[in-house]
Parts: sequence; structure tokens; C-alpha cells
Amino acid sequence: MIEINGLKKQFQNETVIEYEDITFESGKSYMLLGASGCGKSTLLNIIAGILSPSEGSVTIDGTVMTKESQKKKDKFRIKKIGYIFQDFKLIEDMTVMDNINILKLEGIKTDDAPKILDELGISEKKNSKIKHLSGGQKQRVAIARALVKKPEIILADEPTGNLNFAIGEEVIKELVRASVGKTLIAVTHDERLSKYFDTVIDMNNITSGRRDIVKEDEKNA
Amino acid sequence: MLKFALKNMAIKKVQIILIVLSIIISASVAVLAFNVSTQVSDGITENAMWYSVIVGPSGSETQLAMNTMYFTDKPVGTIPFSVVSTLSSDSRVTLAVPFSMADSYNGASVIGTTTDYLKKDGELLELKSGDMLNDQESMQVVVGCNVASRNDLKVGDQIRTSHSASSLDTHETPLTVVGILEKTGSVFDNVVFTQYRTLWEIHDHSNSGEHEDEDHESGHEDESSHSHEKTVCAVLLKTKNPAVAMQIINEYNGKVILDEDGDAHTLQAITPMDAVREVLNDADDTKYIVFVLCAVILVMNIMIISIITLLNMYHSAKEISLMRLIGVSMKKINLLYLIQNAIIGIFSVTLAFGASRILLFFMNDYVSSMGVVLNLSRVYLSEIIILLAVFLISVIPTLIWTLIMSKRDSIAG
Repeated sequence: MIEINGLKKQFQNETVIEYEDITFESGKSYMLLGASGCGKSTLLNIIAGILSPSEGSVTIDGTVMTKESQKKKDKFRIKKIGYIFQDFKLIEDMTVMDNINILKLEGIKTDDAPKILDELGISEKKNSKIKHLSGGQKQRVAIARALVKKPEIILADEPTGNLNFAIGEEVIKELVRASVGKTLIAVTHDERLSKYFDTVIDMNNITSGRRDIVKEDEKNA
Repeated sequence: MLKFALKNMAIKKVQIILIVLSIIISASVAVLAFNVSTQVSDGITENAMWYSVIVGPSGSETQLAMNTMYFTDKPVGTIPFSVVSTLSSDSRVTLAVPFSMADSYNGASVIGTTTDYLKKDGELLELKSGDMLNDQESMQVVVGCNVASRNDLKVGDQIRTSHSASSLDTHETPLTVVGILEKTGSVFDNVVFTQYRTLWEIHDHSNSGEHEDEDHESGHEDESSHSHEKTVCAVLLKTKNPAVAMQIINEYNGKVILDEDGDAHTLQAITPMDAVREVLNDADDTKYIVFVLCAVILVMNIMIISIITLLNMYHSAKEISLMRLIGVSMKKINLLYLIQNAIIGIFSVTLAFGASRILLFFMNDYVSSMGVVLNLSRVYLSEIIILLAVFLISVIPTLIWTLIMSKRDSIAG
């Protein structure tokens, strides 16, 4: 269970986003919907321990993660969280398998990678370099890397952002199917995908702040 | 970790090849310069230690030492053979070796001496074929291996020498090749050895024949051939101890003796070690310049290596940030980049050492003209220190970079 309490994030240019208290139940899938700049990605980054909140706390399974050191947050992220980044965060000159095997640096086993790649329909690309893949294929590789470590929590930031709707829908279906029994929090602005999630949270209603420039701040951060 | 490091290196092969080449060039040049200069200096000194005193005609000390030991330059002049006889019977002298340098065979100098001159550490030099000179005979030659191969000489062949390298007039009397020396890697490979009296006989014969000495290159050689008393260019001495060597030097330095014709000859006696040291002191300036140049090259390369490594790390900042976002700890990232740079460092330094030995091998022929054979297996402590320093230079920028990155512990915000 992930509990968000009194969360506030202030950026260097004094932009402030305040979140209402939210609770994400274990084993359920959530879709965070909202306009650009409303703080969806910021929330994911705070949950993942990539950003630190200015105020408030994030508690995961009873542990107040926001009070932990960066080292512990990193350890927690690599062991328990599968994060699918909007821009994939893959090393372009490396192969699909090498990108997944980065996790081995932290002792994560990647033996299931071929099976997961097969389920995602890109097993034939496992030895291809990322730079030779299409956007949809890259997204699947990012999903595979997030799933291979069998995380308890999956965070997906605009997983369909670079894809057309048809492919995006396929990716979401695969993601939801692979996330059964795990907590899935996906950020998207496409309401048509809401039917695949247990709960849809409209972030426009639970945050306040100067949303128009938050997006830029997040990039700068 | 190692596997991933190798894969990560493979995708940056162009940058890595540049770094490796840069390290190889800087390290091998520095190591080579140090090794050659040290071996040449040690080798020349070692050769000079073989004889305690050289007695010859007055003139340049350096010329006398370099001519008798390394066959460079022309002889200073000649001295009556009676000096050799006197010194041979001197109880303070354990060995007196006459030395004459006259005539030429197809550009190779002809050295008139005894078999004692052809000994190294008390043992006669090895022969490729044939026999050593017989000191009791004359008109025999033992040729250096390069002279033999250049002129396609074999044992039993007869050669005719000329007054100088440029002269076309050869002496009528042929000399017989009795032996060919095994390769020594020194100046001995490039000369012809004969008994000292052979040179007298050739010139006597030459003077009594139709040939006049029109072409003589050196006045000293003329003197040798026209004089009634036999002469040599110098006599090399081994003495019982250094104290008596000094006595002999004091006695003979500046001594004037008269030959059978009543002509006066002023002698000089030198310690070859001192003469060579003087040469080496002059060469030290050159050596210093070489070292300064090497240091400049090394410093420039340190900068190049550091810049390339830092640029490499700068370009890697994106992938470091990516790994950090995934959750890879800075400790693991540091280790990964250290392994990469250590591999580059070890690989480059090893290749640099190999390259320096290959260059040393090719330099051997050139250096052997100075009478020194380079030992390819000789490794000096300073060379290891240079290589170690280069290795550290290839790793330190990474250490600094990763240290800076580690201080920025938080990923964002």
C-alpha cells in the first residue's frame, strides 16, 4: 500500500504543487489522468524516490520512504519498483538484452528476460541495438526491463506517449496483463485507456498550483 | 560487472582506441628514451673499464679513446713500436695490446692488433667459421660478420685492402680470410682484424713496389709506411692495480721519445674511463634535452589522456544518470567506470611496454655503431615507475569524475 500524505513539491522557481492525500491499494491498477503540468509525473518521481518532496510523506508498506536516505531509496527502487519512463531511458548503442542486463549490476536476476520479451512480442529483437528499434519496440523493452525484476510496484509515465493509439492500447493491455497482482500506477492523458484500469484518478481535481509551468520545472529537475 | 564493462567499452571503441593510442605513444617514447640512454651510457662506461690506460701520440684524448675502442674518427697519429715493447715488459703491466688502424677493405676499417684485442671478459670472441688469427703469423684476417655478408666472404678467400675507403688503388699483397666472427651486435661486426705486423708488411711491400702512396688519406699512415722504425697508433694496457695505472699515466703523459731516425714523438697516456666520462658529460646535455622533450611529450599526453577521459565521462553522464534513475547505486557505477579505465590502462601500458621493446630492437643496429649492444630484456625500475604513472593518469580522471558525481548523491530535486 502506498500512502500519500500532505505532499507538497516546491520547485526552484517557486512553483508549488500540493497534493490531496491519496492511497494506492496493493494489487490494483491506477490511471492518473490530467492535463500537462498538473503534477502527475512529479508524483511518480516522488513515489520512486527520484524526487524529494518539499513537505509531506510517502509511506510504502508502513515505511516512510521520504525520510530514508537517497541510497536506501535507490535500493528500494531497483528492488521493488519497475519504472517505465516516458522517454524509455535506454542506452541507444546497446542491445535490448544489454539494457535489461544493467540490472545485474545490482544483483538482479534477468533470467526471465527472454520469456518476457517473448510475451511482449519482441523476442526476435533481443540482440538488436536500441537505436535500430521503433518507438513501440523501445517502449516494450522499457516495460520488459521494468517487469523482469518482478517488482511489487510498477510506475509508468506516459507509456503510450510516443505511440499511436492502436499500438498504445496494445502496450497498455500488455502492461496491465503483466501487472496482475502488483500495484500499477500509470500516468496518461488519454481517457480512452481508462477502461483497462481498476481506478482512474483525475489529477486535476486533487492537485493545486501553477500547473502551466510545472512541466518545464520537471524537465529542469 | 566485467562483462558489462567490456560491452560498454565496445560501444565506445573509437574513443577508447584514441585513448589507448595516446597512452601507447606517450608511454613507449618515454620508456624507450630512458632505456636507450641508460643502456648506452652504461655500455660505453663498461667498455671503457676494460683497459686501464691507453698510450698514444699526443693530441685529443677523446679522439684517442674513441678511436681505439669504437674505431671512430682517424687515429691521432702513431708511436714507435718500442713503446709497446717497453710497456709489455713493464712488471706493472699485465697486458699490453698494440693497436693500429690503417687501410680499408670496401669501406671497412682494417685494425692491426693481437688476438688479445679480440677477447671479451677473457674469452676469445666466437667465430661463425674458420679460426682465430695466429699472432705468430701475418697476412691473415678475421672479418666481422657484417663485412663478411656484405662482401660475400668465406674462409679461404683473399682480399686486397686499400689505403682509404675512397681509394681505388689496392695493395698488391692479398690477405687471407682465416675466420669470420659471430655477430656481436657491436662495432666489431663492421671491421676487419689482422695482425699488427701485417700492416707493416703490406706497406713495406707497397713502398718497394711500383705504387707510390699518392692516395694516402692520412698523414699518419704515410708516416707509418715511410718510417724505418715500425709504428702503431696506440697501445692499450691493463695494469696490476689503479695506483700503478696512475704512475704509468704520469710517466708517459708528455713524454718525448726518439725513434731510430732521431725523430721526436710526444706521447700521451689517458684513462679511457675519464675520456669516455668527458664524452658522456657532453652527451649528458643532449640526454637532458631528450629527457626534457620526453617530459614535455609526457605532460602533453597526460593532458590529452585526461581530457579524452573526462570528455568520455562527460558523454557518459547521460548513461550514468540513466543508471541512477533505474536505481543502480553510485558505488556500482564508480566501480564500473573504474574497471573500464583500469582495463584501458593495463592494456595500453602493456602495449606501450611491448612497443618500446620492438623499437629497442630496431634501435639496436644504430646503437651498436657506438659499440653498445642493447639488452632487450633489461628493464629498469624507472621504466616501471613511468608505466605505473601513466596507468594512474589513465585512472585518476575517472576517480575524480566519479567522486564529483558521488557528492551529488541525490538524483534530482
